[in-house]
Amino acid sequence: MNASLISLEISVIGLGLVLMLADLFMPAERRKFLGYAAIAALGVLLLASFAGCGSCSLTGTAFHGAFVNDGLSLFFKRLFIIAAILVLFVAVEFSDRLTAISEYYSLIVFALAGMLFAASANDFAMLFVSIELITITFYVLVSFQRNKLASLEAGVKYLILGALSSAFMIFGIALIWGTTGQLNFTELAAVASQFADSKIFLLGVLLVLVGLGFKIAAFPFQIWAPDVYQGAPTPTTAFLAIGSKAAGFVLLMRFLFSAIPSITHSHALSTMLIIVSGITILYGNLCALPQRNLKRLLAYSSISHAGYLLLGVAALNANGQAAILYYLAGYLFTVLAAFLVIALVLRQLETEDVSGLAGLNQRSPLLAATLTIAMVSLAGIPPLAGFFGKFLLLKSVVEAAQTTGNPGYYCLLFTALVGVVISLYYYFNVVRAIYWSKEPKDVSPIEMSGAAKLTAWLCIAGIFALGLFPNAVLNFALLAVGGLK
Amino acid sequence: MQVGLHHYLTVSILLFSLGLLGVIMRRNLLVIYMSLELMLNAANLALVSFSRFNDKLDGQVLVFFIITVAAAEVAVGLALIVALYRKRQSAHVEDLTSMKL
Repeated sequence: MNASLISLEISVIGLGLVLMLADLFMPAERRKFLGYAAIAALGVLLLASFAGCGSCSLTGTAFHGAFVNDGLSLFFKRLFIIAAILVLFVAVEFSDRLTAISEYYSLIVFALAGMLFAASANDFAMLFVSIELITITFYVLVSFQRNKLASLEAGVKYLILGALSSAFMIFGIALIWGTTGQLNFTELAAVASQFADSKIFLLGVLLVLVGLGFKIAAFPFQIWAPDVYQGAPTPTTAFLAIGSKAAGFVLLMRFLFSAIPSITHSHALSTMLIIVSGITILYGNLCALPQRNLKRLLAYSSISHAGYLLLGVAALNANGQAAILYYLAGYLFTVLAAFLVIALVLRQLETEDVSGLAGLNQRSPLLAATLTIAMVSLAGIPPLAGFFGKFLLLKSVVEAAQTTGNPGYYCLLFTALVGVVISLYYYFNVVRAIYWSKEPKDVSPIEMSGAAKLTAWLCIAGIFALGLFPNAVLNFALLAVGGLK
Repeated sequence: MQVGLHHYLTVSILLFSLGLLGVIMRRNLLVIYMSLELMLNAANLALVSFSRFNDKLDGQVLVFFIITVAAAEVAVGLALIVALYRKRQSAHVEDLTSMKL
């Protein structure tokens, strides 16, 4: 066993504990700045994972193969740390609306620890514990504004549906373990094909997929997303949209392509993936059309993006898997740009209505530009990150259609294109509200702190860099998915 | 009659279905939450009986993890439900309707 492999996780958990303790010694008015300390510490960890110093970028397995460090887990760990850093920036801007802000920071860091473990999970016990660490932390993060009814209500809804999905998942794990006798993904892969006809085993696989489908908000397990996204504090919503979803996807990819590859490539399961992906895209995009609440709109948009990401899973080839990784990297910057603007602009307003954006181009040109770029990238317009991600995902579906000759892939391709066209309408509705609203009520300029400006520029740079120079990330992603089948 | 794996699994599936039925049918948040715990324990029962009849201990170890996680979940969940009750003076799902299209 090589315990030094988990040094990154141990450092993150230590950071969370230090943040909680520091709260005791800090005067209340300075606690807000603990967020910057957490950002600095996570930045050092991110650099360490790139520089390869210490043991942050070692590869290998630990705990009898339950924990694996490989290209895939390293890619996701870096993605999660970047996401947590940007979410903490948003949280600092949001701190005037939260009590007990340092607990909020440390909960974000603990959720990050869960995501790091999820990126390395190679065992059902690890999968379950890491997913629960993320989910239980998010119950608290979602309902953190205790004085706001919407926040509590969102928390309770997330709690009930989250606990329901974990009950399904754990029952599925019990059935899989009971029939095969294996908890480890690598060992399960060796024997899974013998159980392809076992009804109990297949039911177990299905139940585990229910649990993971809930995490990524795929149809028909998406009902929680709109209410939870709307009621949760804005930084939590941002972390839910990227962190929790990406953790769901890394676990889904490990489960499908490393634990049960022989079942995944069967006709029944690939057809199911095609259908779920198509319906998720259509559902998310159609339901987003009438939305006026910005956070609810982004919730439906995040459901549709889960559908686009599932295209890469349904394609069942390495290009599709690499496209998922690339798409998540682009989605990270896009979503955080959008939620940063929402946190800043809607500060004074009680509602989160799209009309609150009226006159934003006069109030703060930088914020208007950030939100516009985010919306254009989400809609998939070149040359931004969202376009290239969608292009790669669709390309992998075309490849799958050519190699397998399954007509379902052409239907899926058509559905995805229809979804993109529908989404143009509501994304450009937001852009129109920024630039072409009639008689904005409030034209006072919006004060932005230096950190907020830095975050906005970081997100814009990320969106453009991924869109204009995709090769660096794409090559890394192709290497990372090399171990998947 | 010899009590075998099938009997235990039948009980486990019955418990799971009862819990699911409770989550769907009941209207009180606390009862729904109890039903959820029933579903988790159904999975525990399945794991332990598989463990006993297959002579492998991994399942029992996993049960310890599940019990611990469920305890954490209950701590957070009950706190949340109590906070909601204080705000609304009600723990019924019909009252969770402040957010709609």
